[in-house]
Amino acid sequence: MAKDADKNAGLSRAGKNSEAERPLVVGIGASAGGLNAFKTFFDHMPADSGMVFVLVQHLAPDHQSMLAELLGAHTRMPIRQAEDGTAVAADHVYTIAPGTTLTIQNGRLCVDEPGQARAERRLIDAFFSSLAADQGEYAVCIVLSGSGSDGTTGLKSVKEYGGFALAQAGLDEGVGSSMPASATATGLVDFCISIADMPAKLAEYARHLSAVAPDKDADGNRRDAAEHLRTISAILYEQLGHDFGQYKQSTLTRRVQRRMQVLQVDTMAAYVGRLRAEPEEQRLLFNDLLIGVTQFFRDPMAWQSLENTVLPSLLEHKPAGEQLRVWVPGCGAGDEVYSMAILITEALEAHRSKREAQIFGTDIDERAVETARTGRYAKPPAGLSEARRARFFTQEDDGAWRPSKKIRGMCVFAPHSVIKDPPFSRLDLISCRNLLIYMDSVLQDQVLRRLHYGLKPGGWLFLGSAEGVSRHDDLFETVEKKHRLFRRRETGAAEIPDFTSPVSREPRRHDHPPERATKPAAGGRIARAALGVMEKHAMPYVVVDADFRIVHFSGGPLTRFLAPAAGEARFDLFAMLKRPLRQVARAVLTEAFSGGEPAKHPNVPFRIEGRPAAANLIAEPFNTSGYGGGDTRLCVLAFQETPAGGDESAEPPADGRDTALEHELKVTKAQLNTAIRELETSNEEMRSANEEYQSVNEELQSTNEELETSKEEMQSVNEELQTVNSELSHKNDELIRTNSDLRNLLESTQIATLFLDRALNVRNFTPAVRDLFHLRDGDTGRPVTEIVSRLDYDDIKRDADKVLRELTMVERELEISDTDRRAYIMRIRPYRTVSDVIDGVVLTFTDITERKRGEAALRASEERLQRALEIETVGVLFSDPQFRLTEVNDAFLKMSGFSRDEALGKTWQQLTPPDFHENSNRAEAELRDHGYITPYEKQYYRKDGSRGWGHFAARMIGEEAVEFVIDITARKQAEAHRELLMHELSHRVKNTLATVQSLMTQSRDGAAGVGDFIARFGARLRALSSTHDLLTENHWRGTDLRDIVDIELMPYMRDDHPQWTLRGESVPIGSKTAVALGLAFHELATNAAKYGALSVAEGRIEVSWAMEPVDGAQRLCLDWTEHGGPSPEQPEREGFGLRLIRDGLAHELDAEITVTFAEQGLRCDMRVPLDADGEGGRL
Amino acid sequence: MTNSTEHASPLAGLRILLVEDEMALAMALETLLKTMEARALKAARVEKALTLIEREPLDGALVDINLGGTPGYPVAAELDRRGIPFVFMTGYHQSAIAEPWRDRPVLSKPFDDAQLERVAATTFRC
Repeated sequence: MAKDADKNAGLSRAGKNSEAERPLVVGIGASAGGLNAFKTFFDHMPADSGMVFVLVQHLAPDHQSMLAELLGAHTRMPIRQAEDGTAVAADHVYTIAPGTTLTIQNGRLCVDEPGQARAERRLIDAFFSSLAADQGEYAVCIVLSGSGSDGTTGLKSVKEYGGFALAQAGLDEGVGSSMPASATATGLVDFCISIADMPAKLAEYARHLSAVAPDKDADGNRRDAAEHLRTISAILYEQLGHDFGQYKQSTLTRRVQRRMQVLQVDTMAAYVGRLRAEPEEQRLLFNDLLIGVTQFFRDPMAWQSLENTVLPSLLEHKPAGEQLRVWVPGCGAGDEVYSMAILITEALEAHRSKREAQIFGTDIDERAVETARTGRYAKPPAGLSEARRARFFTQEDDGAWRPSKKIRGMCVFAPHSVIKDPPFSRLDLISCRNLLIYMDSVLQDQVLRRLHYGLKPGGWLFLGSAEGVSRHDDLFETVEKKHRLFRRRETGAAEIPDFTSPVSREPRRHDHPPERATKPAAGGRIARAALGVMEKHAMPYVVVDADFRIVHFSGGPLTRFLAPAAGEARFDLFAMLKRPLRQVARAVLTEAFSGGEPAKHPNVPFRIEGRPAAANLIAEPFNTSGYGGGDTRLCVLAFQETPAGGDESAEPPADGRDTALEHELKVTKAQLNTAIRELETSNEEMRSANEEYQSVNEELQSTNEELETSKEEMQSVNEELQTVNSELSHKNDELIRTNSDLRNLLESTQIATLFLDRALNVRNFTPAVRDLFHLRDGDTGRPVTEIVSRLDYDDIKRDADKVLRELTMVERELEISDTDRRAYIMRIRPYRTVSDVIDGVVLTFTDITERKRGEAALRASEERLQRALEIETVGVLFSDPQFRLTEVNDAFLKMSGFSRDEALGKTWQQLTPPDFHENSNRAEAELRDHGYITPYEKQYYRKDGSRGWGHFAARMIGEEAVEFVIDITARKQAEAHRELLMHELSHRVKNTLATVQSLMTQSRDGAAGVGDFIARFGARLRALSSTHDLLTENHWRGTDLRDIVDIELMPYMRDDHPQWTLRGESVPIGSKTAVALGLAFHELATNAAKYGALSVAEGRIEVSWAMEPVDGAQRLCLDWTEHGGPSPEQPEREGFGLRLIRDGLAHELDAEITVTFAEQGLRCDMRVPLDADGEGGRL
Repeated sequence: MTNSTEHASPLAGLRILLVEDEMALAMALETLLKTMEARALKAARVEKALTLIEREPLDGALVDINLGGTPGYPVAAELDRRGIPFVFMTGYHQSAIAEPWRDRPVLSKPFDDAQLERVAATTFRC
């Protein structure tokens, strides 16, 4: 502890002499926002204070600390970031590196980079704790601003080791969660002051330390302490009733010194004076003396051992139904008690036992007991596994942890001094951990005896790791040395310990066994008296145990055989027995114990009052059972006096003269004997009465214990009752509140509500009901059927009965029968009480007049819209924000060919051909941005995959888009057709002009002169023109073969009589082929008129044709036959006409043309393949 | 019409494919080419034209875009593939020519002999 710290401190001091120069090491803790606090601190701190400063701040692990740079302006001391192994030096400031844990050991800083999550780390606690252990009273901790409770545990450590603690005052007042507030709440902070005042306090403290340093011994304890300690203990005992007189001197000294440091008192005498004068100081010292560090399952291996060894044995050997009683003296804040409760609960469950357990937690410190009773832990309880915490603790709304009802119910807490107050009794287990270490050996001895008394036979004792019962092997048997588990050993009787402990009393040794060694055997008074009488005549004896310790003395002349040895009183038989008897007694007893049989040694010579005597020594072993666990082997050693070698019994003969005197003497002797006997009898009686009183007293004592316990229990029951009471009163307040809320609700709501009981009597109603029923306040209790209603409604009884019968709701729309025709919805529901009992009905009337009007208007508007949607030719599409169709009208379905089911859910992407997606995207963006789109045209897909043209317009209505589309496919087609026609017309005209141009060229060749050229060219133009006329009549969709032939021959009519005959079916000819055929027939007709059949009146032309199938196609077979004219001659040079027919036509129409110049006239055979359109040349 | 005998025709000796369905025009062009000392191979239909391209060595072609209602582009494509220069003939406006062929030389109907000779000479003789 402080001693070690002094020895190990690696500070720059040469030795004990330079104690005065040893610097204070000041740890300052603040959270991340504590920069300003640091600045203020150093602004007031001189740079040559001779102290070391270590700043511990909560920093983000990846945060580069600027602390050193920032503080540089506020102090002249060098500022370093802590590095592992740095020895701290005076007038230096060290800062914690981000993401590390800083501790100090042997005056050197240790820097760790823990893998632990940051939230779990308590940097300030870690540093303060190491600081406390390392520097002892030279450790100073300062808790500055910050949230949470980091620093509090470390501060406790610092105080425990005698250091000095400061906390920032006036910060976050009323906020319990700040670090300074948490630290202050421990009651251990020496000064709670503003930052500016701290440097001055530190200087004072340092001055004080160096002032008292010369007065201290090598352990750092004051040399003048011892003489004053008794006075201090006496003051505390007087004033507070607690005796620390037998506490360890070093502990006491250290704590007193610490108080002296805080108060800046230099001499013990001055402190004693102050202590006497100030009750507050007494309390503070008292608190300091009770500093304890506890946690759940502290020293887990020991608890494990308790769980494995003690609890199973307790549960197995205990009679069923008997309560398990456990006592935890010095329980502090209750951690140990709750740990015990958890362990026992688990053990009981493991044994499937319903046994009850009661754990008494006591402590001298009432604050601690109060804390334990409350059982609230701001932090998650330390030392508990996750599973246990989840099982046995509940977290409250404010984040505090509380033990569960189950384990709390097992524990009873009470203020109690293990030294001053009577101990609890009949206990199965006592857990008294780390209490004895504070006591000196005398007090320990006393306490152990009390614990021994309190335990049942075979009861268990569980001590702290530094404690033991080595001096009390007679009281406790060691079961597990390592984990400090002990068992009550059977002594002859349970001693009732001395419950008073006057301070001034000299330490008393308890090694003497009590006078009364065994309990009196049961039996009547006479029997006892008789035994008493007989005892004189019986052999004297002692009872010893296997260790030859005397456990019982008989009455009678036992003293003849005993001669207690000088020195410390002992029960060792051989120390008590007269020397000559010792050897033989050992032999006899050994024989009896080993053989289990009685053993005897006759005539052992020895001396009584100088005269020789002899005795038989008889030993007989026996077992006693019934005390707790096993049997105890004991042995009786009896002494039977035998006549010794001499004849001392022979009396000298009496003298005759004295007969009368002798007689008188004899009588008197007899009387004396009688008196003595009577006295002895009454003595015996007194003694047995005394014994009875003793045992009664014992019983009273335990009754008293039980009463004490009951009182505790009553107190806790009382506490619980108080809690329940306050809960009830809280509930009552809530109820009143709720009631008034309900009343306000009923009155403020416009809903008329009527409460009826089962008999339909009015129970209650809201003011609005008065509009519907002629109700007055006095009408409560009247049947509702008797009350006049303004409603058009007579069935109230039937409906209410139905509701009560079927427990359903009945709903009706009603109207007020008079003028303003207001409409109401009436609902009748069963009235359910909180306990779900049906106790009448509730009628509510909601005014729906406005709603009905609104509904009607809405309906009309909807109808209008519907009619608008039903309009033909305009498709209407509704879509969701993702432009998926949600509704379409019939017109659209008709346009697109989809059914409604097919259309809904489709997106425009699915309905729009890809080449129009760009248009649609643009429209969509516009729609989103502006809420409407400029109407545009695009194509859309119909169901059959064909495309239609639509004219689209759209608008957003809320999140929904509505789109209108007019089908413009027909218009688009018409436009396309017109364009086609325009192209076609241009093509035709230009082709025709090209044809005319070529006709002109051809007509020039062979023309006899301009006149002839004009005649020929004109005739050909006319032929072309007449074919065009024919085609134009039929809109250029072709014409009939007959008409082509007819129109070319028509100009050669002779006196209105045709010289030709045309035979053949109707054959449709395509327009292109018609033009070609027209020119060909023109050439044939012109030729005939000039040189052939038409040049004479007798000439005739036969034109006949027919269609014949060739290779699955149709072929026109046409014959042009002339006769009756001049015989034609083969022309010398092929003219244009013949070339056109034979070459041009064949080429163009893929036709076979044969021209024959026969005797009777020219003959032309044409074989023209025609397709379905009547066009040649395509096949 | 130019008198081709007075100076050597630029088309002399060339074998020209004439794809034209208008009978009179085909005949006139054939006559014209003959006077220019070129040899004309006539085809009124796409199939015929493709057969001729396949069979005959050719120095150039005159292709009507509309062959009896069928576009003449397949002929143009085949000629292009074989690297045979050609000139379109059409009665349509230039814009009616399909996109990929817009940049090819075109004779717009009706045209006179001089136009034909100039265009054919630049196209076929290069």
